[in-house]
Parts: sequence; C-alpha cells; structure tokens
Amino acid sequence: MLFLYHCLLYFYPASYRLEYGSEMTGVFRDLHGEKMHEGLSARVAFYVGELAGLVHGALQEQTRAIAGSHPSIPFSPRGFLMRSEFRFPKTVPVLMAIILAGVILAIEKATAVQASLPHSNPQLPPIQPEHFTFFPAMALIFFSAYAVAVIGWVVVFALRKSGVQRLSDIAPRN
Amino acid sequence: MTLLPLTEPVLLILLSLAEQPRHGYSILKDVEEMSDGRVTLSTGTLYGALRRLLDERWIERFEEEDSSRGRQAYRLTPAGRRNLQLEVSRLKQLTQVANLRVARKEL
Repeated sequence: MLFLYHCLLYFYPASYRLEYGSEMTGVFRDLHGEKMHEGLSARVAFYVGELAGLVHGALQEQTRAIAGSHPSIPFSPRGFLMRSEFRFPKTVPVLMAIILAGVILAIEKATAVQASLPHSNPQLPPIQPEHFTFFPAMALIFFSAYAVAVIGWVVVFALRKSGVQRLSDIAPRN
Repeated sequence: MTLLPLTEPVLLILLSLAEQPRHGYSILKDVEEMSDGRVTLSTGTLYGALRRLLDERWIERFEEEDSSRGRQAYRLTPAGRRNLQLEVSRLKQLTQVANLRVARKEL
C-alpha cells in the first residue's frame, strides 16, 4: 500500500513532490500502521479518503503549476493576482524567428521549383515567378505578425518587470 | 488575505497550530479530536492546505529539538494568528446573530 501511495504522489508536480513527498509518505505510514489494527470498513474508508485526497490535491497542484495561481480563485474579486512564477517564456522570440526563417526558406524553394517546372497546360499562359504574389504576401503577413508579437512581448515583459519590482518594494505587513 | 473566509479544514488546522507547533500527523489527530471525529483530513488535503498557508505566510516551518524522525513541524506566524483571531471574531458575531434569530423565532 505504501508503494502504491508513493506511486500516486507522481501525479503531483515534481517541485511539490520534492518538498512534501517524504513528509506525506511518513504521515501516511503512521496512519496506515494505526489503521491496520482497525476493522475492514475503517481501512476501506481510510484508503478511499486518501485516494480522493491525493487525486484532488494533485489536480489542484497541477492546475496551479500550469496556471501560476491558485485554482480556486482564478478570477479573484480583489483583482488579478500577480505571481512571480507567471513568466512569458524567453525562448518564444527565438522559436518564432526559427519558424519564420523556415517559412521564408520554404517560400523561396517553392518559388524556384515553380519557375523550373515546364508548363503543362498550353491553353494557359505560364505563371511568371515575379507575378506570383501569394508567397510574398504570406511572408509579409508572417513578418508583420512576428513584429507585433515581439513588440507585445517587450511591452508585457516591461510591465511585468516593473510590477514585480514595485511589489518587491512593498514591505510585508506582518 | 486570499484564504478568507476560511474553509472548515483550514480553520481547524489553524486552531490546531494556535496551541503549539505540530507536525503533520499530530495536526491530523488534533483536527479529528477537535471535531469529535467528524472531520478526518487526508494527507493530500492536509498538505495542500499547509502549502497554501505557507505561501500566504500564515504558518512557517519550525525546527523541533527532536527531529530524529525527520518530521517537519509547523507553527503560526504573527500574521496567521492575527487572521485567525479575526476569523474567530467573525464567527463569534455570526453565532450571536444566529442565536438571536433562532431565539426570536422560538418566542
């Protein structure tokens, strides 16, 4: 049973497991030892309660780890809760640049292939690469979206940073 | 103050720690005793609540002299005690109003 409990702890985020896992296992071990002297119904109730508590707790902690705030108050009436763990990933602009470079390269290759292909339908005039505006338009859209995203990221990052700095300047109330 | 109003398990945990520092197992047993066996916390519920209380700095870790079993004790911070007193006052006032209303209905 202890092994099963230990396995169920893996539903929790790794940081939570590292901080509380051994303590939780220790308390469960003590309780389990105590319940072994009680009847079957008491033991079943204990196991069901522990299982429900673990699943509920793991869901809460996973949601918290993903959302970066407490799941029971996602939209607090007191305002948005700014948590230090809520960060815009710094790798996003790099990834976006790589994706954009890949798209532009693919457009260039496609244009070159289009130009080198023999014209199969004699009734239609051949499509000249310089008159084919779809790919440049797409490139322009991608580039614009990238530029807007970078500007947005800079603004959000600057606001978040200044907000955190202001919060850190406030002395704790206790 | 995001924990207010307190849920019953959290209130009982805080009341348990109001008396003296305790570790997880001791809190569970004390909560059970205080509620006459009505509230039985699971370890998942207990440590979820302790984590939130630590985050809000209502409780803190406490190094016991006898830490041979590696059990971590917790105790109330001054802020936690103040908030608990506020919550108890709120409940006291609510109970007084409830008593008056019930008494009026019975007359």
